[in-house]
Amino acid sequence: MWASCRRLRALRHWSYERRETALCALSLLLVCVLSACAFVLPAALLLPLAGLNGLLVIHGLLRRGSIWGVLKLGLVQLSITLSLYLILYGVEHLAQGAVVVARIILATIPGWWLCITAAPERIGEVLSAFLPTKWAFVVAASLSLLPYMADEIREIYQIQCLRGARITPKALRNPKNWSELVYCVLFPVLIQLLKLSRQMAVAAQSRHFGLAQRPTHWHSSRDKND
Amino acid sequence: MKLLALEGVSFNYGSQLPTVLQEVNLAIGTGQCHCVSGPTGSGKSSLLNLLAGVLNRPHEGDIWRYPQLVTGLVMQDPQTQLLRQTVGAEVAFALENLGIPAEKMLPKVQLALRRVGLYLRLDTQVSTLSLGQKYRLMIAAQLVCEPHLLLLDEPWAQLDDHGVSELLVVLRNLIQDGMALVLVEHNAAAFAEIIQHYWQLEVGKLSEGIYTVNDAPQVEAPAWRNQPKFEHLGKVLVSAEAFDFGFDACPMLFACPQGFQLQAGEIVTLVGDNGSGKTSLLKTIAGVLSSRQRLPLKVLGRRPKLGIYGAELGLLMQRPSRQLFETSVLAEMQFSLRRFELPKERAAQMLDELDLFSLAQLSPHKLSYGQQHLIALASLACLRPKVLLLDDPLAGMDKHYYGKVWYLLKRLSSQGCAILLSSHRSIEHSAVSRQLSLRNGLLVEELIETGERYVG
Amino acid sequence: MTKKIPLSLQDSLFVGFCATLLVALTGMLRLKLGLSGHSMFLMSFFYLICYGVLGRFGSMTACGAIAGIVAMALGVGKGGPMILLKFALPAIAMDLVALLLPLSMNLHWRCVILGIAGCIAWAGKVALTNVLAGMALDVVLIQWGLSVLKGGFFATLGALLVPPVLTRLKAHDLLHRDKF
Repeated sequence: MWASCRRLRALRHWSYERRETALCALSLLLVCVLSACAFVLPAALLLPLAGLNGLLVIHGLLRRGSIWGVLKLGLVQLSITLSLYLILYGVEHLAQGAVVVARIILATIPGWWLCITAAPERIGEVLSAFLPTKWAFVVAASLSLLPYMADEIREIYQIQCLRGARITPKALRNPKNWSELVYCVLFPVLIQLLKLSRQMAVAAQSRHFGLAQRPTHWHSSRDKND
Repeated sequence: MKLLALEGVSFNYGSQLPTVLQEVNLAIGTGQCHCVSGPTGSGKSSLLNLLAGVLNRPHEGDIWRYPQLVTGLVMQDPQTQLLRQTVGAEVAFALENLGIPAEKMLPKVQLALRRVGLYLRLDTQVSTLSLGQKYRLMIAAQLVCEPHLLLLDEPWAQLDDHGVSELLVVLRNLIQDGMALVLVEHNAAAFAEIIQHYWQLEVGKLSEGIYTVNDAPQVEAPAWRNQPKFEHLGKVLVSAEAFDFGFDACPMLFACPQGFQLQAGEIVTLVGDNGSGKTSLLKTIAGVLSSRQRLPLKVLGRRPKLGIYGAELGLLMQRPSRQLFETSVLAEMQFSLRRFELPKERAAQMLDELDLFSLAQLSPHKLSYGQQHLIALASLACLRPKVLLLDDPLAGMDKHYYGKVWYLLKRLSSQGCAILLSSHRSIEHSAVSRQLSLRNGLLVEELIETGERYVG
Repeated sequence: MTKKIPLSLQDSLFVGFCATLLVALTGMLRLKLGLSGHSMFLMSFFYLICYGVLGRFGSMTACGAIAGIVAMALGVGKGGPMILLKFALPAIAMDLVALLLPLSMNLHWRCVILGIAGCIAWAGKVALTNVLAGMALDVVLIQWGLSVLKGGFFATLGALLVPPVLTRLKAHDLLHRDKF
């Protein structure tokens, strides 16, 4: 009886984050299945699949996602593929070409939906579950440091612009200036990355990272005020 | 009880590179507080990393450690040390790595947070904390493993006075609990009330005593004081009417009810706590930061926009070593001169004046911290800008380079440059004409005690 | 260049940060330039930087795999499992080809060959998707050819910028990573 009470308490204490992560994992599985179906299903079943994808699109749009990127991909692919089909096979095979492009779009939509509905850290956490501890930490650290990295690139870019470097958007239209971008911005950024990786490694190691084969996991469900 | 002892320890980062530590002897026992001071780049951080046992390179000499010694290391930059999103997860990170079962983590985490005086919900987002709170969080993240020895790397430079006083309370309690502390700090005076043993590290050698850093600069009568005033002095180069400053879709950061001006030939300081908006204001003046709200601000007669001022406006952001990329110091200083089509000879002349010509052919990345800052500032000074904005240029500077920085600034202001420099501490220097204070959400001019104020 | 010890945490973090930067810049440039094939410039550059800085087999694959995971997480390139392949396949191909190249070969040539190998794999992934979608083989081949030409130009450009950057890093003694 004690064991079942404990299990019940454990379930209730199953934190919000754990639930979110599990949901994300299921969504990822759904995405993989739907994307695979887009390639594998016979043409007759593509319509019901499109209907399912349509629901995902509606959900994604309600969550303020923008479908423009997927539409652009579809239009570009459609124009290139249909033109080639027209040149090589004639008008009769245009429908075939359209079906091909449809499959590619149907394989893309689930991925688009996932990114709108799940937070990057959750997706990173789910994917990292398949990785060794060290790489899972690397993924988490990289994602959490991304805003800082973006700020660093922006600041270094601005500093160099102020110093007169030919890296303004106008100047970059001339390919001769691309090397300036690499030397003035990418090179200093790489130096910062080298420093960051060193310091973060020391910080993690000073907190015993890598000591236990299987690190445990913190549950942050509880409030401090007790 | 002795915890750690170094005997004749020497260390370098590579056989071709200079020795960082030479024949260092140091013994640390429970309840002791040691402070190691020295010029920037003298190897203090390396010593700390060696004590913490995180250096991967071999060393000469002996290091004795108490068999169950647990050390905690708090480094300078919170960005690389705060690894999780919430306060609780951050403190628990070390416990996860030790494989402590989840149910045993909570009391340890709560105790660690109490010991540093952080009474926060465990799911508080780390990004919402002040710098002082983040620093204490970093300490809590180490305390959760119950270390015998805590190592702190230059806390004073990053904290404002409020943060330092909070930290002193925490450290005093830890020492009373029997923890040993080693502080690496080039401004030892700030922690004088808890330090028991003073050491100085210079040229790799550790000896007893305090390396003095003169934060109060030496007053030098500038040679050009008696020169006739130029016509451009006093001309308003930056002007702002009353405004409220804030980012798009965020609450207002501060208000400036009276506006402000910068005149040619002045050196004005902008003083405010961390996070008050000093850096954002400087960036806005330089045209780097643009917001939808158009401020009533004119710089050199125009609304600020990135790149429109060319060589007439200079901005030195924090950590200026980030911008260094050329193969030699001279090339680095000539870079902007070439881009703005100004005489390249100014670079060599500047190095000569600063007595740094010996560095001309060296890689900028082989310079010390202070030298890198100075070179970054000197490369701006070569352009002879009309407006110069400096974001905390004196951070972490020691006496030697402090003097050269002021020499450069006074020289520029005598040539009619309007200089605005920000700091989180008041700067007392005879060259400063005025002080703008950013406190409690208000930007106002503050009166500073003057004898004879120097204006261009 | 083959070391048997696993990548240290520091090196792994460097790989992760390069991968994240690669993905972030790919996302940004895609919005601004709208060019396809330009992602090969960045991939080629960052994978070869990992190769040059870490100097061991697997560093490029690790970078590609992490880039794919981060791209999936961030939704760059519409996200989904295919983006993982888009970043990982060129990296794997470059690592495999690097095994075949003699170390005595000039670094510039090595980088260019590896860049082109990456580009071929990248175009191959597009071709694979098209084949799976049932596209006619000659259409697939033509599209593959066009991708190789576009991507090859950018990949070569990125590859040529790597040796001078590595030389500078070495000259500045920045590859003594403990120094930081």
